[in-house]
This record gives sequence, structure tokens and C-alpha cells, in this order.
Amino acid sequence: MNTTIAEYFLSFDVFRSFVSRISLWLGTDVTPFIVFMIFLLGALVITLVLATVGGFGTYAERKISADIQARIGPNRVGPYGLFQLIADGIKMVSKEDIAPKTADLFLFYLAPFLAIFGVFSTFAVIPFGSGITLTDLNVGVFYLVAISSLVGVGVFLGGYASNSKWSMLGGMRGASQIISYEIPVTLSILAMVLLSGGMSFGQIVGSQGAFPHQWFLFHNPFSFIAFFVLFTGALAETNRAPFDLPEAESELVSGYHTEYTGMRFGLFALAEYVEVFVVSGVAVSLFLGGYNVPGEEFGHSLAGQGAQATVFFLKTCALYYVVIWIRWTFPRLRVDQLMVICWKYLTPIAIFNLVGCAVWLVVFDGKSMFELFFHH
Amino acid sequence: MYVNILFLTSALLTVGCAVAMLIARNIMHSCIFLLGTLIGIAGLYVTLGADFVAVTQTMVYVGGIVILMLFAVMLTGGKEFVSRAQKLLGLIPAMGNKWSFGIAFLTSFVFVLSQFVLIKNIVKGVEVTKEAKPFVSTVEEIGELLLTDHVLAFELSSVLLLGALIGAAIIARPRKERVAND
Amino acid sequence: MPEQTLNVFMPVTIMMAIAVILFVGALAAARLLSPRGKKTDEKVMPYECGEEPVGTAWSLFNVRFYVVGLIFIIFDVESVLMFPVAAVFKKLNEAGNGVYVLIIFLSFISVLLEGIAYCWKKGDLDWVRSFIVNKNIDK
Repeated sequence: MNTTIAEYFLSFDVFRSFVSRISLWLGTDVTPFIVFMIFLLGALVITLVLATVGGFGTYAERKISADIQARIGPNRVGPYGLFQLIADGIKMVSKEDIAPKTADLFLFYLAPFLAIFGVFSTFAVIPFGSGITLTDLNVGVFYLVAISSLVGVGVFLGGYASNSKWSMLGGMRGASQIISYEIPVTLSILAMVLLSGGMSFGQIVGSQGAFPHQWFLFHNPFSFIAFFVLFTGALAETNRAPFDLPEAESELVSGYHTEYTGMRFGLFALAEYVEVFVVSGVAVSLFLGGYNVPGEEFGHSLAGQGAQATVFFLKTCALYYVVIWIRWTFPRLRVDQLMVICWKYLTPIAIFNLVGCAVWLVVFDGKSMFELFFHH
Repeated sequence: MYVNILFLTSALLTVGCAVAMLIARNIMHSCIFLLGTLIGIAGLYVTLGADFVAVTQTMVYVGGIVILMLFAVMLTGGKEFVSRAQKLLGLIPAMGNKWSFGIAFLTSFVFVLSQFVLIKNIVKGVEVTKEAKPFVSTVEEIGELLLTDHVLAFELSSVLLLGALIGAAIIARPRKERVAND
Repeated sequence: MPEQTLNVFMPVTIMMAIAVILFVGALAAARLLSPRGKKTDEKVMPYECGEEPVGTAWSLFNVRFYVVGLIFIIFDVESVLMFPVAAVFKKLNEAGNGVYVLIIFLSFISVLLEGIAYCWKKGDLDWVRSFIVNKNIDK
């Protein structure tokens, strides 16, 4: 519990003796510096990986949508169009940066920052493996929910500062949608916190297992429903179809980022695609067993960490595929339907799940359905 | 080392944004500087080892109150809130004149003084040690205290929130003549 | 629980710093590489599908956004209060206090449910208020 990536590395004797030898050589204890360097390198690597994943998100989106609509999709840049994201990146950087004359420039420049800040700060707690978690805060899930609410402020400010009617409508819709759907999502997360007995990701993932019958998804009927509540809420929080009202292209041009060009638009888009990955990762960690691989001893070794990260990425990418699949399957909701679904369906269902999980925990003493049926 | 850097950054963010909030000409900018102040305060909580309070601060204030304030500004509508700045003593643009600043100064003086008196009585009984205590997460402690010593407060807070919800709903409810399907 | 220092928060701070650096760096790169043409009136006009924009977009907005915000904050605070309780629920259940904690927890949630039920009945959860809903209020 409460391990960080630095503690994981320092748990190897080889590494510890290496550090102590350098300390002897330099005459001072360099452990704090080494810890800092591990954190910095880890953070840089995770940022790089997730930013690339976000870039590939745009590629995957286009390729999968093409597949669903029986088209070919991007196929010019590199094999199968794989380098499309590099081409897109170069395009973003080399576009002119234009702000509307009437815009509130300070807020106009600040809005993409809030979106990026809110999403990238969550990387610190995402569990890629039992050792590859930058830090396993005791308030992990709670921190993630809290800091990602900054994205809502960013969306609102982006819409407001542009001083364009489309942006303003998109920003207002976006902010109210993001804050509304935070409630069912938080309540579903709360049910899982209840079942696992802790808010840290290490605790939550650790109380599940590698095989489906050990996942929280199949722990009890209530947690099964809670997963779908969380997933629906997460779609809405990341402005994905069918909840893409803030940027509905057929009614609001492009919503809150209508007036953004070049890199500023790119940063908004990056934040959005990475956020989809993050919420998929959270859903995987909470319900689908997270990084768990069979065998406890194996999991601690370096190879085991690789396997854990692979498992985590595979599950998360599978959910990512479902997110894109849903986009091309369901029509967009109306604004009033959006609010009705949140407050009259998802929130009561989420509360029902929470109560159900609490009662289940007390009545069956924390046993899952599988344990009740097959072991006595 | 790390704690010192964190404290300095948070404190600078808090104070800097608070000053910027006061002298901003535009009420929307003030709201955003308030956001910075609140994040800085969350950082200060972290330096004190109060992880749960820090995250709560972020969740409720940053994610909730600030958005609500932005909505409230939009409710007042129009261009008036852009650069409706008064000047303090005719020099510094500020959100208020000498009277409001004078009253605010007086109030904060009285408040700080009373806090000092309160803290003085509490601190008397506490031994000051120089060694830093190891950080222990506060979550479990808070949870257990809420269920044992402070269970009445926990239950009453839900009633208080219910009252707040009903009050908010009643105040914000449109009157009958103004509803025409806006 | 193992003793630890505040270093567990260091990655959080580092990640935030990286977010700032990434933002500044990306915009600096864009500034260096992007063309900067003449800002003509048409170019810096808010985009309204080719129409000349009339007035500003900063206008009076509907009160329902505010109502949603208010309801959200109440639920937000309630869930914040429930988080630490949920985190120790399992531990206390294993210690044999499950029923006691469950009763406290359920009574807390039931008050929350009353709030939802009230707002639902009075039509505050409806996005588009109709006259029919308002007639119910008068009763």
C-alpha cells in the first residue's frame, strides 16, 4: 500500500547498493536526489506515452469510424496511415494563431491551459502496474475526480472568452454537463471505495484479481450496474458522443473551441483524447481488475511489471474502442434529455447501487457472488 | 527540501492570486484568480499533511464553487461586468472604494486578532518539537472519527445540506409569470 | 500503515509542473513555426457562419444553469463527506460493527434521497419547465 515508483525501484537490492555506493563516493546521502530523478523520469515517460496515446486516439477514431462506415480512412502518411498523428502535429504547430478581436484575451489563452492541467495532473495516480504508479496516494481516486474537474472550468472559459455565440452556448452546456455527470460518477466510485475499503488505487486494484470472477464488475449485481453508470457518466464528462453537446458540430459549429486555431485548438483536442484514455483507465482499475496478472511473486519482478502494464493497456484500449464504437452507433441527445438522464436516471441508480453495495458488504461479509456460489 | 519548495510555491500562488483578484478590473478575471488562490490553499494543506482536506478543497471549491460563481456572473449578464472597476484612492484599480476597503481591513483585523487569542490558548498546551513528524494519511482517522465521536455532526450535516438544497431550489425557481418556455 | 514522508506528493507536483512546461513549450514552438499574417477585420471576426456578428455573446443566461450548479454543489459536498466513511466501512465491518455503520450510512443517504425527491417533485430537475410543472408547485 502507498508505494511510489521510487519505492518500487529502491526495493531491489541491486539498485539500493548502487545508490549507497554513489552516496559513499560523494560523501552525502543522494537518496533524495535519486528519488526525485526517478519521479521526474517516470513522469516524463508517462507524459510522453500518454500524449502519444492521445495522438493515436485521433488516428484510431478516424480509422475505426472509417471501418464502421465501410470506408478506408487515413492511408496516405506511412503504412496504413500510421504517421497521420505526426502530420497532424506538424499541421497544428504551423497554423496561424488567431484570436477574435472581441475576445477576452487573458481567459482565451488561459482556457486550454486549465484543460491540459486538469488532465495531465491525473497521471500522477494512474496505476499502470503495482510498481509503475507514480504515486499511490491514499486519496487516489478522490484526487483524480477532484483535479479533473478543472477541465470543466477550462471548457467554460474557452466558450466564454471567445465571445462568439457558438462558443458561449457550447461552453455553458459543457460546464453544466460536466458538473452534473460528476455526481453519478462520484457515487459509483464511492461504491467501489466501499467494497475495497480504501481510496488508493493500489488498495482498489489489489482487492481484485486477475480473473474475471475476481473483478469488482462481477462482485455483486449492484457493482455490475455501477460500472455502466460510471461508463455513461464518463462518456458525458469527456464530451464524447452521444453526449457531445458542447461541441455538437451540426448545431454549434464546433462548440467551445470554435474560435481556437492552431496549437491552442490542438491542446484542447489533446486534453480531450487523453482524458478519454484516463477515464477508461479508471474504469478498468475500478471494475475490470486493473493491472492484475496471475501470480503474486511474478507481479513484483520487472517482467511482471511489464506484463501488468501490458494487461492494463490492453483492457484500457478495449474500453477506448467501445467509446469510439458508441460514438458511431448512438444519435446525439437533446439538452433536456441530457439533464433528465443525469438527474432522474443515473443519480438515483447510482445511489441505489451505493446502498446495495453497503448492504451486500454487511449481509454477505464482503464476499463476492462467485465466492458465495462456489465456495462455502 | 521538497516541503519548503511546495510551501513557497503554494504561498506565492495564494498571496499573488489573492492580490491579483483584488485589483483585477474584470470580474471574470477575479473569479479565475480566486481559482488560483484556492489551489494554492490546497497546496498549503498538503504541506501540513492534511491530504484529505486538500483534495476536498480542490473538489468542492475548484470544481464546484468557482463554476457556480462563473454561472452567477453569467446570470447578471450583459457587458456591465467587464471592467466595472472602481479605484482605490484614485490610484489603483480595484473592486471597491476606500470605504469598502476600510471596512474590509477593519473586519480582517478584528478577525485575525480573535484568531490569535483563540490559538494562543490552544498552543499553550502543545509541546513544540523541531523534528518533523512522519506523514500519516488522515483519511482513516477522519472516517473513524465521523463514525464515532462526531457521528451526530455527520448526520446533522446531511440535514443542513438538505436545507441548503431546498433553499437553493426555492430561491432559484422561476416565478409563474416569467416561465414562458425560455 | 507504514510511516512515510510528504514525498508521496512529489510526483503530483512534478506532473503539474510538466503540464505547465508542456503548455508553454507547445505554444512557444507554435509561435516560432507558425506564420503570422496580417490580421484583417474578416480574420479576427467571431465566426458565425459568414454572417456579420450582431452584438456580443456575453448576454444574460438562463437561471437553470445556476440551479444545476447549486444542486451539484450540495451533492458534491455530500459525496465528499461520504468518502472517508466509505473508506473505513470495510474495516469496521470486519471488526464487527457493520450493522451500526450501515445504519448511520443509510440514514445519511436517506436524507440525500429526500433532497432528490423534493427537487424531482417540484420540477427543479427538469431542463425545460412547462406550465404544467408550475401548476404542481402552486398546489
